[in-house]
Amino acid sequence: MKFDRRQALTWPSMIMLFLFALLPLVIMLVTSFQSDTTGSFTLENYERFFSNPTYLKLTGKTIVMSLAVTAVSLLIAYPLAYIMAKKLRGMRNIILVLVIIPFFTNQLVRVYSWLIFLQDGGIFNNFLSLFGLFEDGLGLLYTQGAVIIGLTHAFFPYMVVTIYMSLERMDDAMLEASRSLGASKFTTFRRVIFPLSMPGVISGIMIVFVPALGTFVEPRILGGTDGTVIGTVIEDQFFEIAAWNFGAAIAFLLLALVLISMTALNMAGKRWETE
Amino acid sequence: MKSKLVKSVLSCGLAAAMVLSMTACGGTSGDGGSADSGEKTQLYVVNWKDYASDDEELMAAFEEEYNCEIVNTYMDSEEDLLTKLRTGAEGEIDVCLPNCTILPAAIEDGLLEQIDTSKIPNFEQLFARFKEQKECFGEDGNMYAVPFVWGSTAIAYNTEEVTEAPTSMKVLFSEDYKGRIAFRDDYNDAVMAAAIALGQDPNNPSDLDAIKELLIEQKELNRTYWQTGDEFSKLFANDQVSVGLMWSGQSATMKQEGEPIGFVVPEDGGIGWVDNWAIAKSSQHKDLAYAFINYMLGEDVQYDWASSGGPAPANQTAAEKIDPEYAASCAMDEESLNRLYFMEYRTEDVKREWSDLWIEVKGA
Repeated sequence: MKFDRRQALTWPSMIMLFLFALLPLVIMLVTSFQSDTTGSFTLENYERFFSNPTYLKLTGKTIVMSLAVTAVSLLIAYPLAYIMAKKLRGMRNIILVLVIIPFFTNQLVRVYSWLIFLQDGGIFNNFLSLFGLFEDGLGLLYTQGAVIIGLTHAFFPYMVVTIYMSLERMDDAMLEASRSLGASKFTTFRRVIFPLSMPGVISGIMIVFVPALGTFVEPRILGGTDGTVIGTVIEDQFFEIAAWNFGAAIAFLLLALVLISMTALNMAGKRWETE
Repeated sequence: MKSKLVKSVLSCGLAAAMVLSMTACGGTSGDGGSADSGEKTQLYVVNWKDYASDDEELMAAFEEEYNCEIVNTYMDSEEDLLTKLRTGAEGEIDVCLPNCTILPAAIEDGLLEQIDTSKIPNFEQLFARFKEQKECFGEDGNMYAVPFVWGSTAIAYNTEEVTEAPTSMKVLFSEDYKGRIAFRDDYNDAVMAAAIALGQDPNNPSDLDAIKELLIEQKELNRTYWQTGDEFSKLFANDQVSVGLMWSGQSATMKQEGEPIGFVVPEDGGIGWVDNWAIAKSSQHKDLAYAFINYMLGEDVQYDWASSGGPAPANQTAAEKIDPEYAASCAMDEESLNRLYFMEYRTEDVKREWSDLWIEVKGA
């Protein structure tokens, strides 16, 4: 094989990827198969996970929560991206910056801001009581609803960006063609715009759903007594009882879940393209 | 006439001394950056946030005497400290503050330096009880840590809403304060508190199923489970809770800040803890570390901190100087001390069992 000099340029990033992504994963995989007590090879960490219904229940709860966050994000992100890409001309960059601003804020600051905003007698509650609503307290903080709000705020900008990119790339001539062939606005959207934006939608879904599965800060702080998800269980294993082996096993099962859902989404995306 | 002369000589001398010391100050600050004066030694301390070693007023005298700078790293749980000790680089930690829940593990793993109490003169002033604190000794019979302060985890309550101090741990499990209870998100405290309410031995509970059931029933009575002390302060200050499982130390701090907070170790008991100073094996400044520990155990620091909102002093001389009324209000008094069940070391199996129980409660 011929030595390709251009290919050599990718080596530094390959080495980085190996050192800081693959190698730690391998270490974690090995840890997850080690016994807490003897350090020898064992399946007991995985057995323990599947033999306790609480862990399975919490995994289910985490998936439902992540799906809800993804759905709400999609409902907010698609119209926003559409307006930015197709309706606004001069202001789109300003709006894009505004959308991205949450990225610049520290995660904890963001979560505590939501805490103060949502609490009974907080800013949002006071605003509503001006209109005579929820005067006895909102009761929103320390519920699943609060967690979904916090997570949506954290993740929906990713989705706006991916959908915006695919809409922006779309050739407007196709929309004019659709219109001139007699399609109504709605039909144009349904038959032309939406299918063409699908790659952006699918990568947006992935980029929101996957990190939502592993979160623990927002659920712990905003979710109250109902804030336990699989991410907080993993955190507890590492930081509360130093059970690294079991923690690594749960983390790996979560990773497997992520890989399965990404494969499923990829397949859905391919089918869409071939249709 | 003679006394006048003495006075004027003295005042001249004093003035001269002041001028000299001022020039001296100016001198040192002037060439502070030059190479020959040398950098200040840095002493790396791992401790809780707002826990004496980061209080500039308390630490100023020490930093000046030893020409050093205390660099604080904060831990957010005992396990976090154990992780830091295990994974920290050589010399990254000099002194740390483990409690009984991780001390045996840290000693067994050889993470701590053996303590020579002859290098800590103030050790002699500790309560006899604390000189023999079981967990501070390794299996080899040597000492590896020195008690610093103690306190309790018991009931804090809003004195404006709860006029009479609760007499039982059961108050945290009663419908009376439904929605206004702040229980702690911690498997050890949760299990121990429930055991106390059920009349079981909190260190060796006989019926974990009953404890789990009680905690699941209690779940919906909470406003939330708090995890950091800061979270509890905010809940309390915003009038979101009336009673909660809380630390005596933080409760005293909040009282000092003017919050209407009361703290009580109920008659059926509370959870006791001791924080101990230890020197990391890999420390590069062991002599300075000893000096630091001696300073922290000293009567002055112990009294000053305890009487300004800190936890109870392990130094008996300091403890006896504290105003009895104040001591009673933050459960530093002997009566409260005698009601406490001091947290014992737990094996990995027990920890795992309790932690699983708590996750099952939270996930229920």
